[in-house]
Amino acid sequence: MKPESTVMHIDVNSAFLSWHTAYYKQMGIENDFLEKPTVIGGNEKKRHGIVLAKSIPAKKSGVKTGQSLMEAKIACPNLEIIYPRYDVYVKASKSLREFLKTYTPDVDVFSIDECFLNFTDKNKNYEKLAYEIKNTIKKNFGYTVNVGISTNKLLAKQASEFEKPDKIHTLYKEEIKTKLWPLDVSELFMIGRRTAPKLKKLGISTIGDLANCDYNLLIASLKSHGKLIYDYAWGIDNSIFREEHDIKGIGNGSTISFDVEERQVAYKIIMSLCENVGIRLRKENKLCKVVSIGIKSKDFKYSIKQKKINYYTSSTEEIIETAKYLFDVLWDQSPIRHMNVRVSDLIDRKNKQINFFEKENALEKEKLDEAIDKIREKYGSYSIIKASYLDSGIEPVMGGYPSEEYPDMKSIL
Amino acid sequence: MKLLNHPVDMIAVFNMNGDIKPFKFKYKDKKIKVEKIIDIKEEKLAGNRRLVFICMTDRKDIYELKYEIDSHKWFLFKR
Ligand SMILES: [Mg+2]
Repeated sequence: MKPESTVMHIDVNSAFLSWHTAYYKQMGIENDFLEKPTVIGGNEKKRHGIVLAKSIPAKKSGVKTGQSLMEAKIACPNLEIIYPRYDVYVKASKSLREFLKTYTPDVDVFSIDECFLNFTDKNKNYEKLAYEIKNTIKKNFGYTVNVGISTNKLLAKQASEFEKPDKIHTLYKEEIKTKLWPLDVSELFMIGRRTAPKLKKLGISTIGDLANCDYNLLIASLKSHGKLIYDYAWGIDNSIFREEHDIKGIGNGSTISFDVEERQVAYKIIMSLCENVGIRLRKENKLCKVVSIGIKSKDFKYSIKQKKINYYTSSTEEIIETAKYLFDVLWDQSPIRHMNVRVSDLIDRKNKQINFFEKENALEKEKLDEAIDKIREKYGSYSIIKASYLDSGIEPVMGGYPSEEYPDMKSIL
Repeated sequence: MKLLNHPVDMIAVFNMNGDIKPFKFKYKDKKIKVEKIIDIKEEKLAGNRRLVFICMTDRKDIYELKYEIDSHKWFLFKR
């Protein structure tokens, strides 16, 4: 991650309970599950089950996540048990993500109730923005979040873990010593129940101890995991977050403000969408094997088609070629209102094998793509554009770039 | 005021601009015509979108009708 970007971590406070409370509120039932001993668990058919989430008062009565509902009821006799409503939670999670995307297209989903936002504009008051985001969520959606602000994902996530609920915290590099180091070492991301006791044996009890410990001793005891958490204690994050949650595909779509009736215009839009997909694919260090295209016509007819390539690739050129081929097969000449391109069947770049079918100059093309990405990263997305975009009125790289400050990058055309 | 979240059968007007207007609904076998809409709002609690129509009857009694966008259901909310 580039040092100049600002990262926010949004974390829904007691997500399932908060969402359930908001859901009840919409039905006209005022019942704040967070304020009293409540757990979410079990289901309507089977009355037994385990505790999936608990309120603070339930926790205080000794209820633990993962224990059986019966044990929980013994620990806390006046416990209220509510059955999970995953449909409600998924809708809440999706709507939150959509809402966050109005602030930056660069939203990384970490879990059902956690997202990372990436911002590249240096001249912005991000604390003010975080308050706006937090308060708008509270007002519109009826639940609270914590927001952590920093320059990388790790620190932003650690920051959102500070005092809860409904709070904004920063954890910039210069604040690590005062805000992060005094905490117990188990508060650090990726230090679980097994690692913490090992660290205690080495005399490491706070994150500060870890940052200033005997590095060789640490590595001898914990191997590569030791290196990872040592880096974390110093706030160094080489963005491991995405790899934790394997992404299934990368897509980009655009609703067009005019009806597209000419093939050449459609091609340009496809190329523009593919440029962005290619950039993100390479940024993730992934290769793809499947390309799909979706077309929505003026009268909202939606059709989709996909194709498997004979080898894995991250070349924009290859993606464009396949997408154009698919478009030719799919398009019935009716005016187009929306198009999207998606790549899937992803593997890590390091697993790639040279394939017989691959185009001869594929390696050169990949190197070219990488070089272009670097220049664009340095000088902005307009610094290199394909000649066909000149005078076309179509954005050369659609979507994915927060710097343009559009509330919704999808309506860029 | 009594709180309700009662699903109702509804006849509504969908005009050319995409505006939705409740017209007549059935509640406990009574057919009730919507006389006056004072305000229209949108709520998104837990991300679930509902259009809220604040209505008046008999020149004084206020009640709410809600249209749930995803499920296409109408609810009589307060009366
Ligand atoms: Mg949470």
